[in-house]
Amino acid sequence: MNGMTLYLFQLVLVTTAVTLLLRAFPFIAFGRGNRPPELIRYIGEVVSPAAIAMLVVYCYWAYFKARPFSAAYGWNLPEIAAGVLVVALHLWKRNPLLSIIAGVILYMFLVQKVFP
Amino acid sequence: MFTRRVLKSAWLSSLPVLMGYLTMGFAAGVLFAGRITAPAVSFWAFLTSATSISGALQFLMSGWAQQRTPLLDVALLTFCLNLRYAMYGFSLLERFKGIPWYQKFYLIWTLTDETYALEVENRTPAGESSIAYCLAVAAFDHLYWVIGVTAGALFGSGVRFDNRGIDFAMTALFLVILTDQCREKCNRIPALTGLGATVVCGLFFSLGNVLIPSMILMLILLLLLRGKLAKKETEA
Repeated sequence: MNGMTLYLFQLVLVTTAVTLLLRAFPFIAFGRGNRPPELIRYIGEVVSPAAIAMLVVYCYWAYFKARPFSAAYGWNLPEIAAGVLVVALHLWKRNPLLSIIAGVILYMFLVQKVFP
Repeated sequence: MFTRRVLKSAWLSSLPVLMGYLTMGFAAGVLFAGRITAPAVSFWAFLTSATSISGALQFLMSGWAQQRTPLLDVALLTFCLNLRYAMYGFSLLERFKGIPWYQKFYLIWTLTDETYALEVENRTPAGESSIAYCLAVAAFDHLYWVIGVTAGALFGSGVRFDNRGIDFAMTALFLVILTDQCREKCNRIPALTGLGATVVCGLFFSLGNVLIPSMILMLILLLLLRGKLAKKETEA
């Protein structure tokens, strides 16, 4: 078993175990009809938007680091233009698939053809 | 239990998910095969998608494997990313009460955002078992996701094409989720908190180490804001 195979095996175990335990949490903790404490419900409600916003910042930071602001990378225009398109299209049409595919196509076009 | 009527109605309900899972799964699979150099990469794409069944996680996993991210970080990130799943079960507690353990296990294991939405919507035909309906919807969605990811990985590892830029699918997915969440006013301050916490931590940590401190800062801030935010929710 090489290193990558071992790592992938561990990755499967860790991601599956954590995800499964989260999904099972209400059934394990409150299977007898107890109501969850206010604090748990509060955290459950507010963490999701915060975590997704964190990941958006993280994704953009990774782009800005891999493709520093310069003419060679189109002054990060591809990332910004594709992001604006995704949000605008999603506010307008509310179709997740359409927004994502349009954004990816624009981004791939910009990085492959316009600012190669 | 699984009559033709219940299977047909579950299949019709799952059609919108078919489109979404095949496409997103395909993009995640292509990215997975493009980033990871391991023997039988399509097998790993199949296994990771069949076991964790989680969209955003599937995208992140290819980066983690590429960089060999420490498993503790993987566990913490998976926890924060998927914490919302821990709230879904509350609306299904009553319906899943008293069913055989293996059925309950499968329904819990497959509880994704989309499957949850279909199960809550619950278009079980009159006179049929709603558990059979939920199991069928869960199995259809599970199948679509695994097929999408595996097909993407097979395509990505077999066909040589210019896939530069396909990684934007992950950013686009997060942007779409965030846009949807911010339609609800009560999610806007939490979203800004997560954004602010990450930017602040970005001043002190490198890209590879920023997520864990950001999550800690974010949780502290959200707990400090609790009085304010919890109040707003009851007013709304």
